[in-house]
Amino acid sequence: MAEIIQILILGLALGGVIALMGSGLSLVFGVMHIVNLAHPALIIGGAYIAFWGFRLLGIDPILMMIPSAMIMALVGVVIYKLMFEKEARSAKYSEMTVLLTFALAMIVEGLLGSLFTNTHRVTSPDYATEAFFIGNVFIPKGQLYAGVLSLTLIAGVALFLKYSRLGYAIRATTQNREAAELLGVNVNRISIISFALGLGLAGAAGALVSFVFSFFPAKHWEWIPMLMSVVVLGGMGSILGTVIGALALSVIAAFVGTWIGATWSTMTFFLALFVILLVRPQGLFGDKPEMS
Amino acid sequence: MATNMNQASVSAVVEARRAHNLKLARKADQTRVLWFPVAIMAVLLALPLLQYAGNYNYLLHLVLFTASYVAMASSWNILGGFTGYVSLGHSVFFGIGGYVAGMILTRYGISTLITAPLAGLIAAIIGYGVGMITLKVRGPSFIISSIALLMIARILFDNWQFIGGANGLTLPSNDLSVQWSKLPYYYAMLAIAAITVWSSYKIKHSKFGLGLRAIAKDEIKAESAGINTRFYKVLAFALSAFFVGMAGAIWGEYLTYLRPNIFLLIGVSANLVLMCILGGKGTIAGPIIGAILIVALNEIFVALLGASEVNILGTGVVMVLALMFFPLGIIGTLARKGKLPRLLNWD
Repeated sequence: MAEIIQILILGLALGGVIALMGSGLSLVFGVMHIVNLAHPALIIGGAYIAFWGFRLLGIDPILMMIPSAMIMALVGVVIYKLMFEKEARSAKYSEMTVLLTFALAMIVEGLLGSLFTNTHRVTSPDYATEAFFIGNVFIPKGQLYAGVLSLTLIAGVALFLKYSRLGYAIRATTQNREAAELLGVNVNRISIISFALGLGLAGAAGALVSFVFSFFPAKHWEWIPMLMSVVVLGGMGSILGTVIGALALSVIAAFVGTWIGATWSTMTFFLALFVILLVRPQGLFGDKPEMS
Repeated sequence: MATNMNQASVSAVVEARRAHNLKLARKADQTRVLWFPVAIMAVLLALPLLQYAGNYNYLLHLVLFTASYVAMASSWNILGGFTGYVSLGHSVFFGIGGYVAGMILTRYGISTLITAPLAGLIAAIIGYGVGMITLKVRGPSFIISSIALLMIARILFDNWQFIGGANGLTLPSNDLSVQWSKLPYYYAMLAIAAITVWSSYKIKHSKFGLGLRAIAKDEIKAESAGINTRFYKVLAFALSAFFVGMAGAIWGEYLTYLRPNIFLLIGVSANLVLMCILGGKGTIAGPIIGAILIVALNEIFVALLGASEVNILGTGVVMVLALMFFPLGIIGTLARKGKLPRLLNWD
């Protein structure tokens, strides 16, 4: 019993982080129908910002969330202006953007690789190696902090989307782009803002990821299917769905990892992606029949 | 009686239309410059004679490497260009082909030159099975599922000890002298490339190819026009896996080792996509030109800058530029402007 609780707690803590990693992806898809394959690569970019902040300046990676998110949001504005503003009206838009973001992911990977080499990195603040003990169950501090912070941040974003005026506009654009435009929403501005917000979330996630997982530039290829499975399970565009998808899958992955073998825990996400795409492509909370 | 009359006149119209189409096709055939690909092929076949004059192993290697990419890109084009389903996981079939033929080579000592078609066939069968599953979704979902496929294959190959796991397999090298050791693979790869290009031409000009192109334009309309879209798509997937698998088989024995981190790279798939986009998706000559350009570019990048990270960066930049400013590719753009030289009009 203690073992099951233990696995459950580890799975949920990791799930929180994965939810944050996926939420930006989901937001960007919801508003702009861009499947941003470069999102995981940019998360790694955020992780490097936190890593160097910690290594060179001794700033706690949790604090580094803020500069990392801001830098990534800026990067997002630049990327959007350069790559997607013109594409927004082309015919095969969504397929085109997948290829574009795929190429972008390669650019980010290549840049990070030539700047920082392919060494495995991880930030090591004290709490990354410490744990709380409750009876027989231990909770690693790093994962707990990261998970709780992630879920708090997502809750904040969800509240912002729900109650702020800008949030209304973003949700309106998600639901129906043309109608929102007719009602006077500046759709292009909303697109830029939500793209920046999405990448800001990537930056914040990167800072948290930096002490939870070890990372290197090419790691993001593993994260693409992992995050996609989470986001697709929740229904592309639904942030609540992404959180639930992330928690569910990472708990399953934790059980698979303990009982079957560590290499198979990542496999859970990939196989889940396959199964979800086949059985219910719109995900648990999505209402679109297909994302095309 | 009236119906008979109707049928007779309908069949007469159909007959006349078919005759007209045949005439057009014959005309197109006459203007096609058949001697050009034949001449290129003849030059490439004679190229190893240079070995008598000196050491041109690097040149042969480059031609072999380009030929392997020509085969794979043309093969990818059947699915990605004609049918419009972009796969980023095609290196899976490269790996399957390489491993099937490589395992036969280590176990039974039968050269991959003989077993390549078998390896291709197995890749095609697996492609058929995978296609049955993943081709249910289209657009971005399909692209993502193809990446997931690659990741799944990578984990399986890395952990399957029977085929050497992450360390891979070392294959016996042939006992020819250094001067001639590349030769069998050189000719085999050239043959595979030629067969692939010829097949993709034949497919494009068949009823099957017409169906595929209809699927790319509008799948729902194609289906309502009576095309068995599901079967067509899956068959296209299997065919495009077949040639990639064959190329993988030869490439494995040529390298003399098999390793998941050489065969199951997303970079290989990315190259295939890039070659087809740069040359012209859905054209016959496009993938060939794309392959030549990208291999040349890669060599220049590596020679000038060395690091493979810069190579990834360069590939990404070229891909973004091609997608944004040149979506039809070289052949496609020239053809649209009506400036395509007859030498390159292979469609």
